[in-house]
Amino acid sequence: MPPVLEVSGVSVRFGGLQALRDLSLEVNEWEIVGLIGPNGAGKTTAFNCIAGVQRPDRGIVRYRGRDVTSVPAHKRVALGFGRTFQNVGMVKTSTVLDNLKTAQHLKADYSAPAGLIGTTMVSIRERELTRRADALLELLGLTALRDRLVSSLPYGQLKLLELGCALATDPDLLLLDEPSSGMGPDESEQLADRLLALRAEFGLTMLVIEHHVPLVTRVCDHVYVLNFGELLTDGVPAEVRAHPGVIAAYLGSTA
Amino acid sequence: MTAGTYDTGLRARPDVFALLPRAVAWLAIGGVVALCASTGATVAGYATLAAIYVVVGLSLNVVLGYTGQLSLGHQGLVGAGALLAAYTSTAHSAPFVVALLFGALAGGICALVVGFVALRISGLYLSLVTLVFGVTLQQSLFEVNALTGGGAGEPANRPHFLFSNSRFFLVCTAFAIAATYLDYRLTKSKAGRAMFAIKADERVAASMGVNVVGYKLFAFVLSGLLAGLAGAALAFSSQQFNGSDYSFNLAILFVLMTVVGGVGSRAGVIVGSIFFALLGSLLPTLRPFKWFAGLFPTQTAANILQFGPGFVGALLLLLTLTFNSGGIAQQIAPVVRWLTGGRFKEADHASGS
Repeated sequence: MPPVLEVSGVSVRFGGLQALRDLSLEVNEWEIVGLIGPNGAGKTTAFNCIAGVQRPDRGIVRYRGRDVTSVPAHKRVALGFGRTFQNVGMVKTSTVLDNLKTAQHLKADYSAPAGLIGTTMVSIRERELTRRADALLELLGLTALRDRLVSSLPYGQLKLLELGCALATDPDLLLLDEPSSGMGPDESEQLADRLLALRAEFGLTMLVIEHHVPLVTRVCDHVYVLNFGELLTDGVPAEVRAHPGVIAAYLGSTA
Repeated sequence: MTAGTYDTGLRARPDVFALLPRAVAWLAIGGVVALCASTGATVAGYATLAAIYVVVGLSLNVVLGYTGQLSLGHQGLVGAGALLAAYTSTAHSAPFVVALLFGALAGGICALVVGFVALRISGLYLSLVTLVFGVTLQQSLFEVNALTGGGAGEPANRPHFLFSNSRFFLVCTAFAIAATYLDYRLTKSKAGRAMFAIKADERVAASMGVNVVGYKLFAFVLSGLLAGLAGAALAFSSQQFNGSDYSFNLAILFVLMTVVGGVGSRAGVIVGSIFFALLGSLLPTLRPFKWFAGLFPTQTAANILQFGPGFVGALLLLLTLTFNSGGIAQQIAPVVRWLTGGRFKEADHASGS
């Protein structure tokens, strides 16, 4: 069986800056794979290529054996890509509930003009979306925030809600960009539990950009380390932590 | 005791005592409409303009307020609708309803063209392109004699049963109500949510599965259809099409009424549109304003009367942008909340109106 996600030889250049050089990585079924590296190493650029908002100059992105390099981002969501952003990818002017309904865009099984007219079918489907949104809020223990405006919530809660939005797209492969940023040690500990529980319950495969070393060590089956747009090394977390190049480039004394 | 004093989590059931004052308020609004229709041709004429501007305001709000694309060429879309409605009804003696449909279609098609441009560029440059688009339409297509009947303008005669201003006003009110309903449905369905997401961040929208290209075009076409319909109504309201009426000034007025009304807010845009529709024609007739102008020499007084509405509009825009970014909507939010069944005072968490 082909890996869930296979990136091979992806390069991206922004003017004079080589953001990514010949990146190759693999995420297999049921794995949680970490992508780490110092600031500016190209992690988010790699994510953008995988999610489809950035076309790589060279290289191929495959999803379950299928070449998706030229598939636009919203169609990748339909295939099963779910994504969060470094700076909270939510609609700040809307409520939490509306965001969760927006994220179910592809599950809203009616045409846009029908929505304007407001047929019975539309209200039935809308109720389904609301029900699913409520179920997700309950799963994340955030039911109390249901009708709050996103702009009124603290960052840590938003990161969790954003995870909820990504789940609302009904993903198969979850791409998480720094899910624990803005969280304290306790919260990120809980996040680790949650990610493992999500995998156990829904069979999700994940690729995670993360700086928080304990979290990476705890949840990741495999870690890729980027530095200056190039793959420095990869392996299980313990190996990577011991790698002298990684310590020099990134981990410093915290490892 | 009012419902909802205790936070039981139960839905607050509306009771008769809560419904009655609201019903009275809504009846009063209906009464104003009825009064406008029955007080005579002049009042009905002003009120018709207000109803049509409500449609234009809601139309602009779809692209500017919901999708976040500033169009400075909306007078072009309105004008295209007016032109085609007048042309089909006069040159091809199309029935009233058919002419209206053609008007809406003209607006929609022009907007589709602008929409394709908006896929490539955004922000300041898009505004610039829409500006040029509107002005170019006015100076080219709107001046083609074969279509527009030359300097005298293309007539757009109303059918017999709508000959009275009062009846035509009621038709335009129906358009305004229909546009308001569409706008309401838009914000409550997936298309509206997709637009809000696009306005917030196109990458985020795409990551939620929204087809950014498709929904941008959808927003422009919907906006164009409404603008075209409003234009057709405008042509039938004055019973003729005159290309020079659709100048850049009008585009600015449309943006003013949307921004001062409150970008993205249905109620605010409606109130703002009505206000600016009436400002231009009513302000110079107000007695205090005439008295103020009378303090100056004759020539200056004439200028003050002429430029007064524009000055007031600019002043309101500045006040809105500096002190009151929510516009009129922010001020009337408690009233709107109360009228639609909520509580007058804001709960601890606000949801969009």
